[in-house]
Amino acid sequence: MSTTNAGLAKKLGYTNIRVFLDGEPAWSKAGHPVYATNTFVREGNIVLLDLRGDGSPVKGRIPRAVALPYDELDDRLDDIPRNAPVVLYSNSKNETMEAYLELREEGFKQVSLVKGNYQGWVKAGEPVVKGPIFTNEIKWVRQLGKGEVSVADFRKAVAGELPNTFVIDSRTKDEIAEFGIFKNTVNIPLDEIPKRLGDIPKDKRIFIHCSSGARADLAYQELLKHGYDVKFLLLDITDPSCDCEIIKP
Amino acid sequence: MQLTRDSKVLASALVLTFLLTGCATPPPDTSQATKSPVQATQQKQNVYTGSVVGKSNKAKTISISVGKDDQAQTMMVKFDDNTKGLNFAEQGEAAIITWEQRGEDQFATEIKPKLAKLPEGVTEIKVDEMYALVENGTSMTLVDARPESRYAQGHLPEAISIPVPKLKKMGEKALPKEKDTLLVFYCGGPT
Repeated sequence: MSTTNAGLAKKLGYTNIRVFLDGEPAWSKAGHPVYATNTFVREGNIVLLDLRGDGSPVKGRIPRAVALPYDELDDRLDDIPRNAPVVLYSNSKNETMEAYLELREEGFKQVSLVKGNYQGWVKAGEPVVKGPIFTNEIKWVRQLGKGEVSVADFRKAVAGELPNTFVIDSRTKDEIAEFGIFKNTVNIPLDEIPKRLGDIPKDKRIFIHCSSGARADLAYQELLKHGYDVKFLLLDITDPSCDCEIIKP
Repeated sequence: MQLTRDSKVLASALVLTFLLTGCATPPPDTSQATKSPVQATQQKQNVYTGSVVGKSNKAKTISISVGKDDQAQTMMVKFDDNTKGLNFAEQGEAAIITWEQRGEDQFATEIKPKLAKLPEGVTEIKVDEMYALVENGTSMTLVDARPESRYAQGHLPEAISIPVPKLKKMGEKALPKEKDTLLVFYCGGPT
């Protein structure tokens, strides 16, 4: 994209164009900060952490922020969902940066900062809330991505409670021989899907699962291309929330 | 765009530009895709060029997104122990997959990374220089070329968001008036 834009700018007559080809991943990997837009901080599906430990969150904080003093960050790492976008702020640039680096080092991939820290937020005229804080619990629910079926709907389908639905298990035959298969489910391994389209009804809604969701996603793409009404389950099927009945081999 | 006797050459150059584009996801494109469809089809016979959607070692398949916008399709090929360059089939990376038909299946024979090439006269910035430019407050327009959602989640200091489709639509209105302004573009990494 950057080179495409550079090419377009060149055609528009710009004469001093450069490209940072390694881009944002190289930037954050080198320990440099990235910033969220204020809109994203207000409205995004994020975990927003207020790192100030001096009691100031009570006097004013960004709406939806969870008070998590920097000193307690180490102890509460496990409370922060790893696939959530995390946005940080405090009063001190150094403190915010240290938390940013620590989270990145711990493997959090989507961490960013509030522009200008808390002061920058206030200065930009963005909303603040004040008053006592009743909970420090981090509540975050992942939103379903494109093509994903909810676990609830999937459970209904394999329980036979969702009419007009055809469930495909895209794991290999060996995996099924070893682990079993859900009820009301047909096994079509991912690599066989292109040549077994005849076995997949066009007039039904299709759900696909595998062991983690990776192959199901690819199978979903394949069926989408052939005009199916299809969704896939992005879940480790050993996850307790699945709780679907298995027919053992 | 003016029609000159060079327009054919220009059209080919455009196609080439898009084949060599420098980011993990192929840029959505509407205006140029139609310029030279025949040429593109011929080039792409038994070759899939695009962004790798995923690879399954268990099913021994690779899925790759080919084509632009509405025409984008995810193609699935199988691989085996003889497939060369399997390490280049990483999710999100741009790759060129050469394949052959075996019975009902398409088998990848070789996978190559699709390398980014810069337009002539455009130079690359490495991360340390980028950092220096930002820290020194160098006068420039820093442009994040990724989709707006990625920009919203996290972008470089002072960067503005101009995804490729926006620049195509708005042209110079999206950029500073002075044509000699230092413009720096970045996205989600080269491939």
